Amino acid sequence: MLEQIIINGILKGGLYALMAMGMSLIWGVMNVINIAHGAFIMLGAYATYWFFSLLGIDPFVSLVFSVSLMFMLGFVIQKGLINLVIKADIFITLLLTFGLELLITNLALLAWTADVRKVKVGYAAANLQFFGATIPLVRLAAFAIAVAITAILFIMMNKTKLGRAIRATSQDLDAAKLMGVNVSNIYSITFGIGVALAAAAGTLWSVIFPITPTMGGILTLKSFVIVIIGGLGTMIGPIAGGLVLGISEALGTNLLGATYENLISFVIFLIVIIFMPKGIFGGKG
Amino acid sequence: MKKSIILIVISLIISLIIPFFAGHFTLRLATDILIFAIMASSWNIIGGYTGYASFGNIVFFGLGAYVTGLLMTLLNMNFFMAMLMGGIFSAIFGYVVGLPILRLKGHYFAIGTLGLAEATKALVQNLNITEGNAGIYTPMPDLSINAFYNFFYYTSLAVLIILLFTTYMILKSKFGYGLIAIREDEDAANSMGINTTLFKSVAFSLSGFFTGIAGGIYTYQQGFIKPDPVFAVSKTVEMIVMSVFGGIGSIFGPLIGSILIELISDFLSSFFLVAHGLFFGAIIIIIILFAPKGIYDIISGRKKIGISYFLENIRRNRI
Repeated sequence: MLEQIIINGILKGGLYALMAMGMSLIWGVMNVINIAHGAFIMLGAYATYWFFSLLGIDPFVSLVFSVSLMFMLGFVIQKGLINLVIKADIFITLLLTFGLELLITNLALLAWTADVRKVKVGYAAANLQFFGATIPLVRLAAFAIAVAITAILFIMMNKTKLGRAIRATSQDLDAAKLMGVNVSNIYSITFGIGVALAAAAGTLWSVIFPITPTMGGILTLKSFVIVIIGGLGTMIGPIAGGLVLGISEALGTNLLGATYENLISFVIFLIVIIFMPKGIFGGKG
Repeated sequence: MKKSIILIVISLIISLIIPFFAGHFTLRLATDILIFAIMASSWNIIGGYTGYASFGNIVFFGLGAYVTGLLMTLLNMNFFMAMLMGGIFSAIFGYVVGLPILRLKGHYFAIGTLGLAEATKALVQNLNITEGNAGIYTPMPDLSINAFYNFFYYTSLAVLIILLFTTYMILKSKFGYGLIAIREDEDAANSMGINTTLFKSVAFSLSGFFTGIAGGIYTYQQGFIKPDPVFAVSKTVEMIVMSVFGGIGSIFGPLIGSILIELISDFLSSFFLVAHGLFFGAIIIIIILFAPKGIYDIISGRKKIGISYFLENIRRNRI
């Protein structure tokens, strides 16, 4: 029983980690908290849903399309909108992304109504027995893809020229500019990557859980919680935060009941933010 | 200075005689505006003057609403007493929670308060005494329809006037200078001998007191409360949008912002029922882009207004 709970927690935690990765990247590089993050997750989920129900493309294949589409959307939003206020006070960018969130969510409500939908893949019920615990294959695949995407991002950030430019911009904007980095483009690419990661999480989410246009709000909050728990500015942070949150939610809801899920996340969050505001791994404060 | 006194007196007289001309619908709208103005002006104390952008001020509203509701149903307490207790409870909560959470700065404070509001909401949803998501019914005032509308209008107006007057008095006092010093440079304020922890906590708790009172009024007016609407994060954002739209860090800015935003929002929802949120989102984006200093900056006459004013705002903050 206990191992089942922990495995469930780890599988969900992997998804959480992917979900928070995009927010952590945007926050760490540009000091922008993207309140529309959950809305982008929702858009990714719906892109997958339409690819699946209209064109019959398998979610794990259409991942590539939805992620690239959302990268372009993110790039355009940063270039045309957020870059215009990037140097203003913190609550200005917070409010701007909140306005974006309202806009996207309400557009989605108009276009797709508030109905709950689900991507019903044929292999949804397939599972695997592992030391007496049942592991649904879809969740395992989603977890594996989350890990793979994280690994790709890790390599990209550390080994490529683009990754170096992003890290340089995050460390010192003016110095990066002097070294010939086109900061405006780097910001746009970073936001694009962040949104693409959100879309990837949304795609995997839609295979496992039902989706609605308003699903984003709580996911944005959870992404905050994960980023804070793991600590900002490290790659390992969101992974650790995601796993901690996934496992403690699984354990907590099992002990106290499902209605306590949100209470558990936010209590952990408050404890972490007050007593170790740099997170478990102590990124930049 | 004289001009502004005349303006204040005129608007005070107008606000006092509105109920004699307005119908029920208008009066209800005016009351909603007043309640929002109380919340926005309270936010202004911590967010505008002290410079701590709280994204969880709705927690005070919810606590005030629940304390008022519970005292009235369980102890049969008189409404004004219960409302005051709701405010005091919120104030104490703000002070106690403020001590740890006000050590956080910038984004961390914003997100910390947001988490605080969500945690409190989740707690209220799970407690027995608050009856969870089912919500609680509270006694309704025993008044005729006309008296009902007038009662809530004048109660809210009185609270708003007290709040604005308090803000004015704070700004004239050493306390107010201390808050502004904290906003401009907290380390410098600290080294000048200001007890920043105390100042910030008192400001947070004052903000909580009036927001809690607003929650109490809401409870008595609705006769029914449940966690979702009274702890809605979107309402915190509305407070902030109103303050920003009106002008942060000015006494009347949040009031002007609340009037304009509520009127716009009411206009939109009567014409585009479904797409109302969509337009609201678009308006927020436009305000943030072109007038991040708010209407007060425009109408105060200190700057020349024109295309160049709006473009200047963008030029300053873009990369």
